[in-house]
Amino acid sequence: MSYLLEGNNINKHFGNFQVLKNVSIGIPEGQIFGLLGPNGAGKTTLIRTLTQITAPDSGEILFKGQALKTSNTSDFGYLPEERGLYRKMKVGEQALYLCQIKGLDKKQAYAQLKPWFERLEMESWWEKKVEELSKGMQQKLQFAITVAHRPKILILDEPFSGFDPINTEAIKREILMLKEEGTTIVFSTHNMASVEELCENITLINRGKNILSGSVSDIRKSFSKSLFEVEFHGSKVAFANALGYQFEIAEITEKPEFTQAVVMAHDGASSKALLTSLIQHVEIISFRENLPTMNDIFIDLVGRPQTSISEEA
Amino acid sequence: MSANKIGLIIKREYLTRVRKKSFIVMSLLGPLIMAGVLTFALWTSLEESEDQKILVVDDNYPFFEELEGSSKLSYDVMDVSLAKGEALLEVSDYTALLYLPKNILQSKSGQLIFKKQPSIRVQRKIEETIQQYIEISKLQEFNISEGDYKRLKAPFDLLTFQFKGVGADAEETNMLPAIVGLVFGILIYFFIFMYSVQVMRGVIEEKTNRIIEVMISSVKPFQLMMGKIIGVGAVGLTQFAIWILLTLILATSGQLLILGDKYDASSLKTPMTDVVQQQVEEEQALNFTQLSQEDNLFNKIRRINFPIMIAVFLFYFLGGYLLYSALMAAVGSAVDNDTDTQQFIFPITFPLLLAYILSFNVFENPSSDMAVWLSIIPLTSPVIMMIRVAIGIEAADMWQVYLSMALLIVSFIGAVWLSGKIYRVGILMYGKKPSIREIIKWINY
Repeated sequence: MSYLLEGNNINKHFGNFQVLKNVSIGIPEGQIFGLLGPNGAGKTTLIRTLTQITAPDSGEILFKGQALKTSNTSDFGYLPEERGLYRKMKVGEQALYLCQIKGLDKKQAYAQLKPWFERLEMESWWEKKVEELSKGMQQKLQFAITVAHRPKILILDEPFSGFDPINTEAIKREILMLKEEGTTIVFSTHNMASVEELCENITLINRGKNILSGSVSDIRKSFSKSLFEVEFHGSKVAFANALGYQFEIAEITEKPEFTQAVVMAHDGASSKALLTSLIQHVEIISFRENLPTMNDIFIDLVGRPQTSISEEA
Repeated sequence: MSANKIGLIIKREYLTRVRKKSFIVMSLLGPLIMAGVLTFALWTSLEESEDQKILVVDDNYPFFEELEGSSKLSYDVMDVSLAKGEALLEVSDYTALLYLPKNILQSKSGQLIFKKQPSIRVQRKIEETIQQYIEISKLQEFNISEGDYKRLKAPFDLLTFQFKGVGADAEETNMLPAIVGLVFGILIYFFIFMYSVQVMRGVIEEKTNRIIEVMISSVKPFQLMMGKIIGVGAVGLTQFAIWILLTLILATSGQLLILGDKYDASSLKTPMTDVVQQQVEEEQALNFTQLSQEDNLFNKIRRINFPIMIAVFLFYFLGGYLLYSALMAAVGSAVDNDTDTQQFIFPITFPLLLAYILSFNVFENPSSDMAVWLSIIPLTSPVIMMIRVAIGIEAADMWQVYLSMALLIVSFIGAVWLSGKIYRVGILMYGKKPSIREIIKWINY
């Protein structure tokens, strides 16, 4: 896979505390990529090394296969979790300034900002001072400023925090549109539902280490506990008899219309075997593999007792 | 590209500050207050609010017939008795009566009887006019030409020096250059203090606003810090320039307005010399009979080399400002809010405060060991060397100036480098207030 942005064996410490331990990460071009991890895992520090805010102690960072350079800062758009703007500056002036800092000239900056101000319905704010805007409005403004210089890679740290559902949908729409236009998006969040919804690939870091990387569907499959959910009409006894020694009922509930059962497979027995034997005994309404959610996987991995705790002391 | 970015940062820092109401108010009010105080001082000490119309009772009439006054001070010479003159004074609009008695050439004294006390200046003017009148008439009596008389006069200038031991510089007691130096030194103190604190506030603002992370994902922390320091410094220079310019304009026009054409406003070189100007005027008034254009105090002012003074001022202001504002930027980066800055500001600005306090001492004793050391040490040199340069440094001691300047340059480069290291770590640190030991550790992060 070709990576747009790639970090290899990144280490970073502050004093005696090692924040990043040999972290490697690869962000494929044109995708929405999830960077996950609990609070204090080192996500922000990793993002800061990738955005050249701080330099890593060791390790290499490649952008399009080349060592990351200062001039690459204009290829990046970064929306930090802690948002902030110059409060006393006027909205328009500030938007122009921050785009110019990213390398656009004033005319280009204006031309790029204008459609965003129109799309996000912010045109009337241009002459207002930032401090006159509500928090949500400031978030929206900052999103527009972050994307206006058309970065090749957009790093969004908790982009939906502080937005109401309507604005959340609007921002989500814009993110998907940017992806369609070819922007690579790194998405750092604790909201696992949005990870499942938006991200193709993820990296999960915990305590400064990369503990899981891969595509969301592969990861969910690999964490599958081989559970199948079956809804059927027919007798429970017949259902149980049909399972044989390879399968076992984990849970069964009778509902007015049908019966619902969760079946666990032993020794990697396939769904095909289960279906084949069931279909002869009961009338099946629905059948699906019960994959773990990203939320389950996150809690499972991060909540697991750490064997490495003693290392860190 | 990066030079372009630093330019953008400087521009923003400069424009946002210069456009602030407080800057405009300070820029206008500063000189207004200064000029107002000076003009008021001049006005109350020098000028008569009303014209003087003086009735002269000349017992030797028509001896003083040709007494000439001016538009503001006019004389009417009359051949009347003192009693009659007084009666006339009562019913007329004469402001005073000048009585010149019969034996005036022997007694060399007259009397001025006034309705409302005229200023000392007016009294002196009258004194001089009469004295000159008598002198000229005596010259005619002895058949001496006015030109011969001027050549006969030998004005003598006595400069006084305090003995400070063999080989040591004797101290001239003329305090004029020292006063100017002190004013410049204090100005340096205030400007360094005011604007380096502004740099610190700016850093804290960016940090608490959280804009900092966005900024340094686009520019290097060092560029952001230098952009701020340079931008704010330019604001300081702008304010200084406005003050000087406005003070000059206001003081000049104020003088013209109040004093009319009696005083030559063009001799007013800087606001500092207003006080001096006043002294000169008084001196001139006292030495009117000297009939000499070359006044000794004028020479003294001319001996102050203003171009050099301003050059030295700019050097030490900029050097001191860069040194202190870099340190203050580091302080700003280390804390989350203004209140936490106290413990760091005090130790950093203590030398500056010390220089300010001791500047009066240096003013009195510019060649003492203490003065020499303080003028060489970079943290105090901007204030102290300014005063010493103004007073005058012997050629043999010029090495002290060069050393002081070199040390200041070296130390502000060092301070900028060191602060840059602290700054890049500090701006991303939130939460607990770091100790000085921790901050020193950041240098190696």
